[in-house]
Amino acid sequence: MSSAYYGQFGGQYVSESLMNTLKELETAFEEAIRDEAFMKEYHYYLKEYVGRETPLYLAQRLTEKYGPRIYLKREDLNHTGAHKINNVIGQILLAKRMGKTKVIAETGAGQHGVATATGAALFNMECTVYMGSEDIERQHLNVMRMEMLGAKVVSVQSGSNTLKDATNEAIRTWAKKAEDTFYVIGSAVGPHPYPKMVKEFQKIISIEAKRQFLEKEGRLPEVVMACVGGGSNSIGMFADFLEEKEVELIGVEAAGLGIETGKHASAMALGRPGTLHGMKSYLLQDDNGNVQLAHSISAGLDYPGVGPEHAYLKESGRVQYVSITDDEAMAALSELCRLEGIIPAIESAHALAYALKKAKIMKKEEAILLCLSGRGDKDAHTIEAYFSGRGYLN
Amino acid sequence: MKNRIEEKLEHIREKGEKAFITYMTCGLPDMEGCGQLIKAQEEAGTDILELGIPFSDPVADGPVIQAASYKSIELGTNLKSSLNLVETVRKEGCEIPIVFMMYFNTILYFGIENFVKACIKAGVDGVIVPDLPFEEQKQLQDELSRNEQSPILIQLVSPVSRDRIPMLLENARGFVYCVSSMGVTGQAAEFHRDVLDYLKQVKEVSKIPVMMGFGIRTYEDVLPMKAVIDGCIVGSHFINLLEEHEYDVNAAKEYCSSFRKGLNM
Repeated sequence: MSSAYYGQFGGQYVSESLMNTLKELETAFEEAIRDEAFMKEYHYYLKEYVGRETPLYLAQRLTEKYGPRIYLKREDLNHTGAHKINNVIGQILLAKRMGKTKVIAETGAGQHGVATATGAALFNMECTVYMGSEDIERQHLNVMRMEMLGAKVVSVQSGSNTLKDATNEAIRTWAKKAEDTFYVIGSAVGPHPYPKMVKEFQKIISIEAKRQFLEKEGRLPEVVMACVGGGSNSIGMFADFLEEKEVELIGVEAAGLGIETGKHASAMALGRPGTLHGMKSYLLQDDNGNVQLAHSISAGLDYPGVGPEHAYLKESGRVQYVSITDDEAMAALSELCRLEGIIPAIESAHALAYALKKAKIMKKEEAILLCLSGRGDKDAHTIEAYFSGRGYLN
Repeated sequence: MKNRIEEKLEHIREKGEKAFITYMTCGLPDMEGCGQLIKAQEEAGTDILELGIPFSDPVADGPVIQAASYKSIELGTNLKSSLNLVETVRKEGCEIPIVFMMYFNTILYFGIENFVKACIKAGVDGVIVPDLPFEEQKQLQDELSRNEQSPILIQLVSPVSRDRIPMLLENARGFVYCVSSMGVTGQAAEFHRDVLDYLKQVKEVSKIPVMMGFGIRTYEDVLPMKAVIDGCIVGSHFINLLEEHEYDVNAAKEYCSSFRKGLNM
């Protein structure tokens, strides 16, 4: 099997005009990660600019209430408020190394857009972010942040006017302008080598978390979990544990209003293999093979597909994928606010909700290690609207 | 029976002419109207017809074809109804070579084996899959090669294909689809800067006719390349024209016959 694949998933389902671009990218990426100077620079910025390493925090009141020891990997404490920046620093350094002067990105909730705009400002690159017109409406704060950082935000009006359409538009632009433009993909999706690249630049999460956990507990955790939209924080969180067969790995997708309602974002639960955005993976589709809209209160999990390595990890049985509804996630979010004084991103609250369920069947001396991928400031409007019973903006 | 595309192109070559190929989105203005447009184009002298099977996420297409796809999906067009349409016009005696332009997921969902069988039954002569580059074609090619009645998988070449060209063309059949500009379908005729050199490079390697597409509006657009290429493809502009004239059969006929005449003056 070619390195572009994870089992039957992955590949390069893009137009002929991007094939040489992908090859150049792959060569440059493979060289860069073997170049000590490059990796040193990447780690320099992670430490000095992003603020790594992030703490591994034993959530004491959650632990008291729920039983097993619950550890939070605090990716929410990164600069820009989520794990997205880890990958952006890596990809933009690579773009610079390749001599590109412009970067483009797609964004749904705006977190990856903000991270890319941030990196572009730092490394003096021209930045354009594609965002669905629906998302621009509901994530206005992040649009302002991107513009403040000097990025141009392009409103995408095609299809469903959301993340998947913004991604289509970014791919179209890239096919046109690849000569001087680097496409920064934020999730563990897209054609090879993107899923591999995103994992490489996010695996720092599990490398740190594993070491920190060992230092604190002198052993490995029983369970490691993270939320899964496209799957960037989760692949980063799983990376260094994949070979530790005794550690149970769990990915948490969004069940939206409930999988049975059809309004959800659980590509693993109900999708079937298909091709979108340059990859073959599980995909929500209708009876004609057209891509179905995902649905979740969390804009970051609102994606009809999932990264190809996750599809493979599901098929191979190494990772178990489960889903959590909007209501369950919001209850967990509230719990974390009140018990620990941490307002999590709604995405991360999905992982937490499942952890609290799972805790009930675990022993007190066991431990859960959870990726708290982002903070909830960006979600303030959605959270307020939800709890005041006005439904939500999504 | 010989493949209609190959037969037609051989005939054109014998006459020393250039081929004129159009693209339209299947199911517009509705299935019946679409069938009439196919037959009208055959009468007007269009040599090969590309029929776009609408998909929810057409990443290789510009705004015109995106909008047409969306509209057609809303009207209920799918692969099955498109196959039925081809079968119907074939029964009515229409012999124009028909190529399906579609995205890979549509085929994957339908099932590759089922798809090939259904194309043979309906009378589809070729398939263009813009998001299925050479490296990903094996599964589909294997299935196609099981029956000599199968449609031909048309190969696309882009201005940045460079060293890939010999590999792409080695076993290519039907015609080579040369994307003349970078990016997506339907941009204005600002052809890639070295387009002529690139077309010459393709022509040198190719054993089969070379067609140029993307961004062509009038036959004058292709005159500078006419000596090199064997024909051209008009897509987005043709759809715009159909929209403007509310899918009037006579307007389509007039455009096609005058383009083909101009091209072969």
